[in-house]
Amino acid sequence: MGNCLKQPNADDISLLRGAENNQTDGTDSSLLGPPPPYQVSGPMYHPTPNISRPVAQLTEEEQVKIAKRIGLINQLPTGVFDGTRKAKECVICMGEFMVGDTVRYLPCMHTYHRECIDDWLMRAFTCPSCMEPVDAALLSTYNSL
Amino acid sequence: MSQNQGVLLLRRQLADLNKNPVEGFSAGLIDDEDIYRWEVLIIGPPDTYYEGGFFKAHLTFPQDYPQKPPKMKFMTEIWHPNIDSKSGDVCISILHDPGEDKFGYERPEERWLPIHTVETILVSVISMLADPNDESPANLDAAKEWREDKTEFKKKVARCVRKSQETAWD
Repeated sequence: MGNCLKQPNADDISLLRGAENNQTDGTDSSLLGPPPPYQVSGPMYHPTPNISRPVAQLTEEEQVKIAKRIGLINQLPTGVFDGTRKAKECVICMGEFMVGDTVRYLPCMHTYHRECIDDWLMRAFTCPSCMEPVDAALLSTYNSL
Repeated sequence: MSQNQGVLLLRRQLADLNKNPVEGFSAGLIDDEDIYRWEVLIIGPPDTYYEGGFFKAHLTFPQDYPQKPPKMKFMTEIWHPNIDSKSGDVCISILHDPGEDKFGYERPEERWLPIHTVETILVSVISMLADPNDESPANLDAAKEWREDKTEFKKKVARCVRKSQETAWD
């Protein structure tokens, strides 16, 4: 358990970065302040868990990290739920699988709606049910082929 | 997951908790129109210093729940190593985002997972009341007392318990 004592967090730093960029256009960014949230267009990414950033504000390193992560996620098998599998419910949204739903299978054999698990895997690369790290499991699958 | 599914998930949990209440707490919405803000009443766990108390707390869910954890804040004054005495904010690892932990204290399985529900969160918080974690304090003075001066700690908690009984039904 980490502590919760007050300290500057990474989000403060990202705001400062935004301010630096604004200064080049001649306006006094300290008067404008940071842009209000939810007005930025484009998808939000999570280079590290506590940090959400729109795609335009990612560093090159973060872009590479996210691209790699998307690549890994895309290698995980998907399927269409046909009612024959044992899994009945997606434990993330607690909704029952309906015939025709797109599902994703993790190496640990846990199954989720693709939409539910992909969003999570962009934030943390572990199975929410068994905490199996997905990348390690992927690698061991390759080694055993 | 779309925002709409988060709303459905919270509605489902609310209906479940209304139908099958769980021992130790009750839960409802602060405002019937706002599914993201919950009020819970936690009953001080038996055989702990908090026994007999009724502690009100608010849970605020983000728009992207369950991908991100809610925040929890005690509205009733409470003296506890893992609860900020001024703001009431709860410091518990399962309400922390997953992934890299800059302090290296928390294992991934101790952090937020999208399968956590109001029920699993409250079970953890109730167990935290019974068993404070003095290694990750949000209230340094309470943590120090918990370790070194149990008599004073007990006295302060007893005062909160009494006060909570007077204000629980306001």
